[in-house]
Amino acid sequence: MPQRLRGLFLGALLSLACIAGAQARGVVLVVNSASASLSVVDMATRREVRRIPVLREPHHVMLTPDRRDLLVGDTVGNELLDLDPGTYALRRRIPVADPYQLGFSPDGKLLVINGLARAQVDILDAASMKLVKRFPLKTMPSHMAFSPDGARVFISLQGTNRLAAIDLHEMKTIYEVTIGRVPAGVMWLNGKILVALMGDNGVAVIDPASGHVDRIVPTGEGAHQLFLSPDKRILYVNNRVVSTTVALNAADLTTLRVYPVPGGPDDIDFAPDGKLWITQRFAHGLAVLDPATGSVDSIQVGRSPHGLIINPNAEASAP
Amino acid sequence: MDPTLPFDTAAGWLQETLVLPLLYRLGLMQWEDIGYGWALFAVYGAAQVALMYAICLPLERFRPVERWPDSKAVSVDILYTLISRIGLLPLFTFVLFYQLQVWLNGWLTDNGYVPPTLERLFPALLGQQALTFFLYVIILDFADYWRHRLSHRFGWWYGLHALHHAQRQMTFWSDDRNHLLDDIIGFVWFTAVALLIGIPPLQFPLLVLLLRLLESLSHANTRLRFGWLGERLLISPRFHRAHHGILAAGQTSCNYGALLPWWDMIFRTADFSRDYVPTGDPEAPEVLATGSYAAQQWAGLRAMLRAMVGRVAAG
Repeated sequence: MPQRLRGLFLGALLSLACIAGAQARGVVLVVNSASASLSVVDMATRREVRRIPVLREPHHVMLTPDRRDLLVGDTVGNELLDLDPGTYALRRRIPVADPYQLGFSPDGKLLVINGLARAQVDILDAASMKLVKRFPLKTMPSHMAFSPDGARVFISLQGTNRLAAIDLHEMKTIYEVTIGRVPAGVMWLNGKILVALMGDNGVAVIDPASGHVDRIVPTGEGAHQLFLSPDKRILYVNNRVVSTTVALNAADLTTLRVYPVPGGPDDIDFAPDGKLWITQRFAHGLAVLDPATGSVDSIQVGRSPHGLIINPNAEASAP
Repeated sequence: MDPTLPFDTAAGWLQETLVLPLLYRLGLMQWEDIGYGWALFAVYGAAQVALMYAICLPLERFRPVERWPDSKAVSVDILYTLISRIGLLPLFTFVLFYQLQVWLNGWLTDNGYVPPTLERLFPALLGQQALTFFLYVIILDFADYWRHRLSHRFGWWYGLHALHHAQRQMTFWSDDRNHLLDDIIGFVWFTAVALLIGIPPLQFPLLVLLLRLLESLSHANTRLRFGWLGERLLISPRFHRAHHGILAAGQTSCNYGALLPWWDMIFRTADFSRDYVPTGDPEAPEVLATGSYAAQQWAGLRAMLRAMVGRVAAG
């Protein structure tokens, strides 16, 4: 690694570690997709303290823009669960067909829901939860990213190797283009669209206007999901086949470090102490990666853990 | 410790070291979740076959009903079992059932209906996965009683089902010796019931595997009875052997149940009196008893078509 990059990387890690004290507090909510449950993990003791049953097959979790509600999508149960983000108490069940991936537009007015199994993208009015428009998209719409102005949403289509761009003002599809094998995680970064290619070994860098693939940044076989560190300096990519988490310089996408994270790493959330909490789909675990040392601890949760969200202020003993 | 953890760990290992790299090389990574489903079924299926083997083999060795100088006819039954429990059938079942449930329930949701599930009918069941699983077992067993009874009732269906009854050397491997078409009909039947009560897709093949584990024991070539009360609670090898008896083959039979004898008792088809009768279907073509896998499949199909044509000609 060049000296300049190494300095940048270490600086970023230090700044992450300084955000809060060294001791992790709060809880992590983990969505166990194949055991129909949510695990509540105490970050201080690193133990699962509660398991909350849900109906069938939950996958992802997301806070509403006002941070007052926590939404969990149960795909096979065909419902969104609206939970209290402090206690995880169920507030209401919202019938929605196949809510796999969730995303709020930057202005918070629209909720986009990808139905992976039903090959559809639903745009809902976030306030009323009423369907505004459904886009049948072939096939397997999996992840999404919004343009910063909220005018467009980009959807990866896992089954057809394509990326779809939807105009949220006109409510129409702008383009569907082939971008590479089995596209998964999508992110808007520095004026480009980045798409992790799960059937390939890297991340495609795409011109959002045309959908043209400018280049592919190698990260590892089975590149699946992308996460930007809270200080926006490091881009983490999880590679499903080789089970690694790769740190890239967010500015130029050069590789900074490769971390082995066993068990098919999937989603990431960042703890205030700078550690990365990562779901391990096939190890039924929640990994805690210290990016400074590369050490990984694993906490047992339910089967096939997928989405997760850290609440640094919640109490582990909450009812 | 969670009792499923060793199986889940093994499935995770299988997924990470074999399934994912294979899917990646084949350009099929979009099916990784399905691959994980297969890994789970393969592990649970292999464990089930091992358990079945560990329980039934000693019973057959030390307390057999019959001893045969040559057990060649059993070998094809082993092939049926491996295909049915570890190989493609659980995967096929899972994928099809998953897609059906997603589309049907999604359509119901879109149209303002709440898709049916036992937990929605009885909210106290939410989170009681073991109890709910047990209720699913009872409901599916009831459905299987009627599927089985009807497969004897209709001549064309029995043409296929005769493959199952033709085995004269019945052992714990014999449970899965079914015509593929008979398996598919069974799948459609189970699926309809499973959709009605909202069985979770991942549990569906596991439920079928559990039912099959006990069915294997009931086919074992062993002198095993559960006592007066026990035989009225759970189907024993003695009880089920009466169903496979040469006098019970064909369209009028008894003891159709797979797991629970209750349905035979309620619908008056139970016969607790027969003791360790010889098995087989004297009217079935010999190939159904001793032929190869392919020959048996072909013969079953022909028997079904003959029954259909005969019925049309007679009508």
